[in-house]
Amino acid sequence: MQWWCSASGKPWTWEPQYYPGVWLMVALLAVTFHTLSRRSRALGASRAAYWGGWTAVGLVWQVLDWPLGPLAAGYLASAHAVQFVALALVAPPLLLLATRQALAAAMPTRGPGRQLLHLVTQPIIAGVLFNLVAIGTHVPAVVDGLMPSQVGAFVIDTLWLVGGLVLWWPIIVAVPARAWFSVPVRMLYLFLSTLVHTGIAMVMLVRAFPMYGIYELAPPWPVWSPLEDQHLAGGVMELAGAAVIFGIITVMFFRWSGGVAGDVPPSAPRRD
Amino acid sequence: MPRLALLPSFAAVLLLLTAACTDATPRHGVAIEPALPRPSFTLTDTRGLPYDFAKETGGRLTFLFFGYTNCPDVCPVHVANVAAVLRTLPFEDQQKTRFVFVTADPARDSLPALRRWLDQFDTAFVGLRGDDADVARIMSAIGLPPAMRAAPDSAGRYEVGHPATVLVFTADDSAHVLYPFGTRQLDWAEDIPHLLQVRGKGGR
Repeated sequence: MQWWCSASGKPWTWEPQYYPGVWLMVALLAVTFHTLSRRSRALGASRAAYWGGWTAVGLVWQVLDWPLGPLAAGYLASAHAVQFVALALVAPPLLLLATRQALAAAMPTRGPGRQLLHLVTQPIIAGVLFNLVAIGTHVPAVVDGLMPSQVGAFVIDTLWLVGGLVLWWPIIVAVPARAWFSVPVRMLYLFLSTLVHTGIAMVMLVRAFPMYGIYELAPPWPVWSPLEDQHLAGGVMELAGAAVIFGIITVMFFRWSGGVAGDVPPSAPRRD
Repeated sequence: MPRLALLPSFAAVLLLLTAACTDATPRHGVAIEPALPRPSFTLTDTRGLPYDFAKETGGRLTFLFFGYTNCPDVCPVHVANVAAVLRTLPFEDQQKTRFVFVTADPARDSLPALRRWLDQFDTAFVGLRGDDADVARIMSAIGLPPAMRAAPDSAGRYEVGHPATVLVFTADDSAHVLYPFGTRQLDWAEDIPHLLQVRGKGGR
């Protein structure tokens, strides 16, 4: 049974396909989000953040399900790049913005859970983890090796979403709070953390031949060649990624320079 | 041991490396042992004229592929990959190559249809058509299994089973290697310069 989108090698068809694994994952995400966002609303989260979070749930569903999911899994590198931007750079901040109050309140105060969260949400570690995911999931041998299997494709998609949540946590949830992690440092963190994916995008843009066998040898897409598709993928990662990152850095800068202290949730307890 | 004594060995290694980088042995594909001589056959090209394969392609690096234009996957990918790499060659090297596509589905592949399909990849690619028996005879002569037409679906569409390999004949009028489906553009880009270095029978 096909439960997750993977590279099939079959010619593309516009006949809708069904992926129960995607529905299950989106349902779990929606239920978790519903629970956390309700608590956050009670703790003062804005209506805009709440609807932004639901938009993110919808976005995750749209990029994982038919048609974008299978297109990204086995036909178009550009669709895969759209998935990356959506899952790692767009959905996580929206999800965290809508649930940060509940997440901060639910932080374990002791035990291994606290230690693990404390470690993973250390900005340097979070940045390194995100970049390891970004590099690892774009290595041609890894992509060509994992995408033909449903488990492999599921692992890549999930790593992007989880990697994105890890990247954005120190900025948006900011718990445990860290005195040295001021707004200018956060802007620098965001900028530095995304240099690697910008580098990956540049490699895609300048390579003379297709990097990924699954897209190069896939049944042909009538509109553009595999190399043009790869260049488009690089452009999507570069431009859409930069638009998201620099857009948020710009907002952070103006809020910081305007003296608006809204980037740290008021309920966030200071832990170190 | 004095360092100078190492120089001859160092030079020998360098020479070997240089030779390895400039020899005519391709890195990819499947070797054909013994080498296959360039076949001699005549089919009709997309202008409607007889095309004598041995005469028209002799002494040139020639890619020979049997496929069909309604092929949903292997044929367009294989042809597109070779075309993409040939486009990157210097003009004089491009002039030393020929790509010949023989249809394995003459019932549907009319000469204009063949031309239109090949022009998507390269207007210089040669399309040839003959009747089923002629094409089967040519394929058999070069050791390829014959094309097989699958049963048509309810709409009358059918697929054709055919060898998914590109045979490459070098300037010595022999095929030393064939390239199965799965050959990447990067593989072609590495091999074609080596294949172009094979000297013709007169040493040219």
